[in-house]
Amino acid sequence: MSTWIKENCTSFLQLFCIKVLKAGRIPQHVAFIMDGNRRFARKQNVNTATGHTKGFEKLSETLKWCLDLGIPEVTAYAFSIENFKRSKKEVDSLMALAREKFERLIDEIDSINEWGVRIHIAGRISLLPEDLRATLAKAVLATRKNNKLHLNIAYAYTGRDEISRAASHIVDGVKNNEISPDDIDEDLVSQAMDFGEPELLIRTSGEVRLSDFMLWQVSYTVLYFSEVLWPEFTIWNFLMAIIHFQRHAPPLQEEKEKTPIQIQFLKNLELKKTREWEQILGC
Amino acid sequence: MLSRLLRQFLFFVVHLVVKILVDVQNVYRRLYIENCNSPMGQVTKENILMLLENVPRQKNRLKHLVVLADSNVHTISDLAHLVIWSLVVGIPYVSFYDVTGRLKTLEDKLFLEIEKSKKGIPGCIKWANKPDLNGYTYGIQANTVFINIFSYSDGKPRIAECIKFIAKGDLQCKRNSNEYTVQEFGEAIKFKSIIPDPDLVLYTGELCCTFGLLPWQIRLCEFIQLSVHHNININCYLGALYKYNKCDQRFGK
Repeated sequence: MSTWIKENCTSFLQLFCIKVLKAGRIPQHVAFIMDGNRRFARKQNVNTATGHTKGFEKLSETLKWCLDLGIPEVTAYAFSIENFKRSKKEVDSLMALAREKFERLIDEIDSINEWGVRIHIAGRISLLPEDLRATLAKAVLATRKNNKLHLNIAYAYTGRDEISRAASHIVDGVKNNEISPDDIDEDLVSQAMDFGEPELLIRTSGEVRLSDFMLWQVSYTVLYFSEVLWPEFTIWNFLMAIIHFQRHAPPLQEEKEKTPIQIQFLKNLELKKTREWEQILGC
Repeated sequence: MLSRLLRQFLFFVVHLVVKILVDVQNVYRRLYIENCNSPMGQVTKENILMLLENVPRQKNRLKHLVVLADSNVHTISDLAHLVIWSLVVGIPYVSFYDVTGRLKTLEDKLFLEIEKSKKGIPGCIKWANKPDLNGYTYGIQANTVFINIFSYSDGKPRIAECIKFIAKGDLQCKRNSNEYTVQEFGEAIKFKSIIPDPDLVLYTGELCCTFGLLPWQIRLCEFIQLSVHHNININCYLGALYKYNKCDQRFGK
């Protein structure tokens, strides 16, 4: 059984409901702010690390629901730069959890490849411990040819930091004569971001803010705030969010055509990012 | 497994059931929660007393309120009331986000409507782009509200423009490592810097969406629904402030 995609977690009735909802518009990119692990731990009288482990298990269940629904891209807010302010014990336990789960992913790479999951990790990776960076690099490089489900994980991430890093790449592009300042427009900046635009963003635990997540991308995203704590998020909560999306989603925004120079610059940027992962791994 | 026609029929039934349930809930909310008996088109003495009575109970000091203003569903008088209530409550910055792009053309009308509604209420209303018409308090200690109207172009296009200026060398943005930090880049793109980041965004209707509202500035603001039917009255307004008051910011901790 795969650690990352929880199999056999949907009943016949749930699969039936998924099939029915698939008759309508399904979001092509869903983002999650998985909030409420610590409150769940307090409620259940267990330690915080157990709460986070339960949170990860919920993510693996959610990924299976997304695959069943035919959602090709999922983004999860795993760790914010601001979360470094938490107690050392909690930060260490979160890093240990990431280490363990990504090592399991590498162990189970055949099953991940079978599911077609491509892992994309974004954030200020330099802030993470060196060994974790190497494990993440392994996961990213080992899954880069998959294309059935794009799983973006925001690690050591904030939306403002993402905008600042994208600005750096674009300014560097001008310095290196890859693009001219006149090639810079809103669409180029959007393409230089770590993540694409989600159609639906779900935040659990009753909080009604973005907490510095995907600030650039959410302009036309349906924001759905659920009252339940993340480890208690069920498929029915998820399907309600999908129905809400189907009732209220704004029409798709037309993408502006890019110039050949912009296309080449973005290709180079993609290559540069892959090379950075290879350098971390020491390839 | 399921034929396409049957699936489509069941899909239609599910959405119909959800629509009926939501509508019933909304009618209930409208009748019992959002109901308000104050006469339309004016800020009454009762309104002001009601607001003043509730102000001291506010725990989270609200500095900047943004209202997602949709000219298709909100009247100019609705928006003017929001400004006057905020003046009474003591919110120093009230901004409207022009969702349809039509509010900017109606700015003069909004200005006159606010002046009309303000009569007899102490306080000062200042417009970001009408410095000559700004009011005075004549030495009386009273609240001041700064009004701004933002639109899509103040968000992503403005940031893209700043990146262009940095790339051209027209705007200074120093960096100490390979990539700009939030502080370095934030310092460069700071515009209208006296305006604090929004604390609260109010929207009406069932869809919560930013429509491109100031992406850099909205990182910590709360999104609270003012009403389900796009109607704006004092009960909805106070209800939203109560909800905001319950929000607890953790700043990552």
